[in-house]
Amino acid sequence: MVVAPAEHGRIVVEGVSKSFGPVRAVNELSFVVEPGGVTGFLGPNGAGKTTTLRMLLGLVTPDSGVARIGSRRYADLPTPAHEVGAVLDASGFHPARSGRDHLRVSCTLGGLPLRRVDEVLDLVGLSDAGTRRVRGYSLGMRQRLALAGALLGDPPVLILDEPTNGLDPEGIAWMRRLLQGFAEQGRTVLVSSHVLSEVQQLVDQVVIIRRGQLVHHGPLAELSGPDAHVVSIRSPRTEALTAALSAAEGCRVERAGPDRLRVTGVPASRIGDIAFAAGVMLHELTPHAVGLEDVFFSLTNATGTDSDPGVDPPGGAVTCGR
Amino acid sequence: MWPLIAGEARKVLTTRVWLWLLLAAAGLTILYAVLTMAFADTPDALTAPLTTAEGQRTLFAVGGAAAPFAALLGAIGLTAEYRHRTATITFLTVPHRGQIITAKLIVHVLAGAAYAVVCISITTAVVPPWLASQDISIAVPARDLFATDLGVVTSVALFAAIGVGLGALIREQVAAVVTLLIYLFVVENILTNITALHQWTPYLPGQAQEALIGSTLTNQSLLTPWQGGLVLTAYSLAIATIGTLLTAHRDVT
Ligand SMILES: Nc1ncnc2c1ncn2[C@@H]1O[C@H](COP(=O)(O)OP(=O)(O)OP(=O)(O)O)[C@@H](O)[C@H]1O
Ligand SMILES: [Mg+2]
Repeated sequence: MVVAPAEHGRIVVEGVSKSFGPVRAVNELSFVVEPGGVTGFLGPNGAGKTTTLRMLLGLVTPDSGVARIGSRRYADLPTPAHEVGAVLDASGFHPARSGRDHLRVSCTLGGLPLRRVDEVLDLVGLSDAGTRRVRGYSLGMRQRLALAGALLGDPPVLILDEPTNGLDPEGIAWMRRLLQGFAEQGRTVLVSSHVLSEVQQLVDQVVIIRRGQLVHHGPLAELSGPDAHVVSIRSPRTEALTAALSAAEGCRVERAGPDRLRVTGVPASRIGDIAFAAGVMLHELTPHAVGLEDVFFSLTNATGTDSDPGVDPPGGAVTCGR
Repeated sequence: MWPLIAGEARKVLTTRVWLWLLLAAAGLTILYAVLTMAFADTPDALTAPLTTAEGQRTLFAVGGAAAPFAALLGAIGLTAEYRHRTATITFLTVPHRGQIITAKLIVHVLAGAAYAVVCISITTAVVPPWLASQDISIAVPARDLFATDLGVVTSVALFAAIGVGLGALIREQVAAVVTLLIYLFVVENILTNITALHQWTPYLPGQAQEALIGSTLTNQSLLTPWQGGLVLTAYSLAIATIGTLLTAHRDVT
């Protein structure tokens, strides 16, 4: 079968659901990841990221829906090692086996030439530790070894679950250069994380889920629109100020202390105007750098029952979790 | 299929579990040989006198002691995938789980056969000189001796497959190992000592092995070697098939 170039390397998740007993881990989730970029797959702990990736990789059978790599389900790929590289469990090593032997096993099973072992060890900076048993590896070294395993087949699609866990800032920077290099070569890179800040530097697209459902899908840049302001205020008359600010559109006020408020959704200048008009004096008015993390937080923490609108994610490509 | 067999073989050889279990199998073989040689001719011995062909055949068959260790190797080899969470990488590399379990079965069956060969070498090296030193001439026909060796190799290999299948069934390493040890060294011994069950005990795996290797214990009635071989084969096929099917259908989380 001839596969159209755009379809090759595209990750397609279509209406996938999975329950573990009473827990609905993934609920009617659909999204598409295009090649040529690094996509962040984000959500708080227990959102269903790992479960989704395991369904994508044929390790967990979805209750309904289908996940495909290109035009095929993972289990139907003729040579998976050549087509998809995945890291799901940084701890998935036999402690008594050396890193090198671990990779040699994968190479043999996947029908890949053994010379790839030294090449990938070199690529992830583990050449010197290769002959040591994995038992003595640090968390960061295990992450590197897992990544090395995913790269053995030089695959056009990379799927990594929390690859920055345990990496130091230098390691994260290294990972960023590596993954962006892959994306520039036209490969598909999907990276999950429960902390946006860890992958913020790394991704250009984001898929955000919460409780197994899609919350946001789009370019990272769209996450932080001009609306995403956070301002700290100190004032002796917080009640009057809260009342005045509540009238402003898109404004959200939180009490942060006896005489402190935290305001999101309107710029500091606007708050100053409102306070002046209401005759309330301000002792402090501090705008904070636009926090992507705040946007992420409000996207993934909007509780299911209250009417709290949270920060409206800009960009339009939004399905709010119910 | 060849890469899968080679990969699974590499897994076995890149940790030392196989070596410790082989040493244990060799150790138990030597122990059984020594005990048989020392006590075979005492009044309440379970074996026929060593001057007889039956007695000698039983002595040559002690290499069958490798069976529990081959089973342990199989069970540990399979459950290690879950214990150390390498199952993820294995099934990512080979999504056809039936094929990878089949490769694992083949590799462990071969490993079991190799264990048996080592233990047979030990008995072959130790028993004839000892018999000679006791002025006992070898009474077992060469054909029977060959049948015993073949039985030892086959039964130990089949036990390895049973271990793999049981591992796939239970998945929990400690539980699988404890189950195997308790069954083979305790439960089956108790059952065979209950006279009321003697109609059924020949069909137990351990007793089927005794039949297959042609050892004779005077307090037991056993199946014929052929029947023993068939029963043991049926056990390993059944448990390996169930284990493989379960592995193919269960989620790997
Ligand atoms: N094997 C399992 N058995 C029962 N429940 C499970 C299983 N695997 C996952 N779950 C549940 O499914 C939900 C989603 O889990 P999942 O591991 O996919 O989340 P995650 O987004 O990867 O979280 P984290 O950021 O903590 O890794 C959780 O509520 C979890 O408890
Ligand atoms: Mg996870």
